[in-house]
Amino acid sequence: MKRYILKRILLSIVILFFVSMVIYGIMRSIPTSFVEHKAMERAQLPGAKSYTEWLRILNEQYGMGGNVVTGFFSWISKIATGNFGDSWKFTIPVTEKFSRVIWDSFWLAFTTLILRVVIAIPLGILSARKQYSTTDYAITIFALIGISLPTFFFATLMKLFFSVHLGWLDLFGKVGRNYLTLDSLGQALDVAKHYIMPVMTLTIVSVGDLMRYTRTNMLEVLNSDFIRTARAKGLPERTVINKHAFRNTLIPVVTIIGGTLPSLFGGAMITETLFQIPGIGYTSYLAILEGDIPFTMFYLMFIAVLTLMGTLIADILYAVVDPRVRIA
Amino acid sequence: MDMQDNRPSLEEQPFVPAGEPLALDDERRLKVLSPGMLVFKRFVRNRLAITGAFIILFMFLFSFLGGVVTPYTESKVFKDYELMNKLYAVATENNEFRYILAENQTFDSTAKSKMILAILKNESTFESGGSVYGLEKEGKDFYRVTGTSLFASGKGIKNQFKLQPADGIVLPDDFMAKFNEALAAGETSFTTNDGQSFLLKASKVEAEVYKQEDLALASKLIFTGDLDENYAFRLAAEQAIQGGQDAKFSVGEQTYTLLLSEDGVAIFTDKDGMVISQASHFLMKASQVGTVFPEGFAAAVQAAITGKQTSFVLQDETGEDRLYLLEHGTNEYVIRTELETYQINMYSPPSWEHPLGTDGNGMDVLTRLMYGGRVSLLIGFVVVLLETILGVVLGGIAGYFGKWVDNLLMRLVDIFNCIPGLPLFIIIGAIMDAEKVKPTYRIFVLMIAMGVLGWPGIARVVRGQILSLREQEFMTAAEATGISVKRRIFRHLVPNVIPQLVVIATMTLGDVILTEATLSFLGLGVKYPLASWGSIINAVSNIYVMTNYWYVWIPAGFLILLTVLGFNFIGDGLRDAFDPKMKR
Repeated sequence: MKRYILKRILLSIVILFFVSMVIYGIMRSIPTSFVEHKAMERAQLPGAKSYTEWLRILNEQYGMGGNVVTGFFSWISKIATGNFGDSWKFTIPVTEKFSRVIWDSFWLAFTTLILRVVIAIPLGILSARKQYSTTDYAITIFALIGISLPTFFFATLMKLFFSVHLGWLDLFGKVGRNYLTLDSLGQALDVAKHYIMPVMTLTIVSVGDLMRYTRTNMLEVLNSDFIRTARAKGLPERTVINKHAFRNTLIPVVTIIGGTLPSLFGGAMITETLFQIPGIGYTSYLAILEGDIPFTMFYLMFIAVLTLMGTLIADILYAVVDPRVRIA
Repeated sequence: MDMQDNRPSLEEQPFVPAGEPLALDDERRLKVLSPGMLVFKRFVRNRLAITGAFIILFMFLFSFLGGVVTPYTESKVFKDYELMNKLYAVATENNEFRYILAENQTFDSTAKSKMILAILKNESTFESGGSVYGLEKEGKDFYRVTGTSLFASGKGIKNQFKLQPADGIVLPDDFMAKFNEALAAGETSFTTNDGQSFLLKASKVEAEVYKQEDLALASKLIFTGDLDENYAFRLAAEQAIQGGQDAKFSVGEQTYTLLLSEDGVAIFTDKDGMVISQASHFLMKASQVGTVFPEGFAAAVQAAITGKQTSFVLQDETGEDRLYLLEHGTNEYVIRTELETYQINMYSPPSWEHPLGTDGNGMDVLTRLMYGGRVSLLIGFVVVLLETILGVVLGGIAGYFGKWVDNLLMRLVDIFNCIPGLPLFIIIGAIMDAEKVKPTYRIFVLMIAMGVLGWPGIARVVRGQILSLREQEFMTAAEATGISVKRRIFRHLVPNVIPQLVVIATMTLGDVILTEATLSFLGLGVKYPLASWGSIINAVSNIYVMTNYWYVWIPAGFLILLTVLGFNFIGDGLRDAFDPKMKR
């Protein structure tokens, strides 16, 4: 097992290297780069140096002197020492900006995950138990609508309803206008209030997958022999479902949820941008649009690491819960 | 459909109550269906799947047929007349002399400035360009300018002149008598009995007599109507105004009546009582060519100006009250009123012509939705086709050959899997923005990017299936019969993967449409003038549009939702139809 994990981690590093190469190449090919914008800006100041001169100076300052290949290797050699450089747009070290914004994303995702589990698992099980009933259809349709909803559309509808028509919640932002005048409890409640719509959006659009997965697994379990045996023994239906079936259904479901744990840190780009929650998603969106290479590279690499971690955790969990999958 | 049909067969449930329909693959059925037919029948019996199929059918008809049927084109801009408070006229207080020339006369600008000098010096004659002009004050800010020609001249002593007429001129009979009269009285002009008037210029030894003729009027009043340049009318009219009270006067054969209003506006009516002209100190300039000021407009403006009002009401030609707004300046007054304006028909509410109104560019929303549907569906299908081709080929090769080929390709899959899609598409969108890529090319680039990034999912499924399939007996048989590798993969293995492939492809279609919509919503996907459902919703980035013009964006959102839902319903139905194990 240890050897397997070690092998996977080493493999991940190789994969990350190639991923970073691809991403860096694409980032560098943005024609009007951040540096050019900056040089243009500086050259227009009164009494400034010419554009080409500024371009040369800035390129040197930002370490963009060489071509893509040398740029990539100088970038990756810095990464190897744990130095991700300074963000061009935010003018602070990338890691500092990251540590400032990551928790907003995390709490958003964490609340969503809890709501997802609380809603999806009971409904999924209910749906499986009453297969082909009206309840099952209703839950299935609800789940599929959630999957099919465009995030941006649903978020806008919610804004229209809760902010414009009812006036209960603010359209944008993480804190209200009088945030600074509130005491610490009031501040926490204010932030929570601003989280309501983003969390609802994220929950509705993501709950369907887990619900369907739970239903499928529950059906599989309910069709298996040991459930028939349990019933044949004359166990009450409640015991059959709650003890025998439910526990066995949880195995794959927990595995899947375990696999999504790293993505709690990944941020929700669209939702955060629409509600202007200053999490990692919104911050990266701004960085991408401005061509801030250090921050974007860091973010994309971070997402790649999270993806690899997610599959690794899921694979390990599979092996842990199901000895048949265990590979040497 | 009744799902009870698909209850497990005999062995699991030995007792089937009478009257309960048999499952499709029930052994007691007389006719056992072929596997393909079985799948089809199961699919058709699934209510959700059929709903999905109808939704997608509707979307296709809506987009591809609707675009043909609709009377409008994708980017037709509608324009309309609308009432708007617009600049109507500017009234300026006139402080300059304006000149009304008599028929066939000229009065050049040098002479005009000389005239003003003469007015300041209070002189009755002035010279310009070698000719002498007479200047006669008729009233306040109202002068008559006369042109002169030498009539007679002569020399004399002690006020006794002997005058010699100019060439070809015969002196009137009483000329000398009137001349001497004027000379004796020290006047500078005299009129003979036949109505000719003369200007006299005399020193002790020399005298010159000029014949006067009407040349121009200099006045600071502004007249409206056709007669404002008519010398005879202006002369008579202004003389009447100088009289300071309502009067009647005649010019030629016409008789006119003057009415002086309290605000100092003079109104002239003809014998039928029709207003033919108005005189005031304000110069009205209409903002649009061809504007005819309504009756009494000048008077109303002047009244409003002197009364320091900010608005006034006046009847227009149809007899309806019209409100005019007046803005005071130093000596300029701006008059606004509601005018019909030809403009782009933005955000017009739903009507018969535009069932879903028009958008911010004045284009028909329903038509844009139809064309947008074409783009969204087309992108979905092309991307999925591309993904499937790449996925089947690479996944098939990896699964069949195994070993290092599999290892290599799967690491490639891992790499692609780690590249986050949405940020990458945003970067590509930004690149295309900077390169100013044409809207049509953008769609192609987008499709290729999405296809290239999306294949690993399909490749994985195909590989997994093939890995297990190739160990089965039929493959050993295929190998033993000496069928070529290519044939073995694509004729014997891949067809067995098709059920999973179809399900995945259908579900992916929905995802692709969602991604495209998201990108277009962010303004980085399909761009104006091309429409896509996402870019139509993009209008909500303007909060005002979001709150007030629901018909612009809500239908597009529901179309996306329905289409994706339709594909998901179909995908779900197909999965159940292919693999009925899950049925209890």
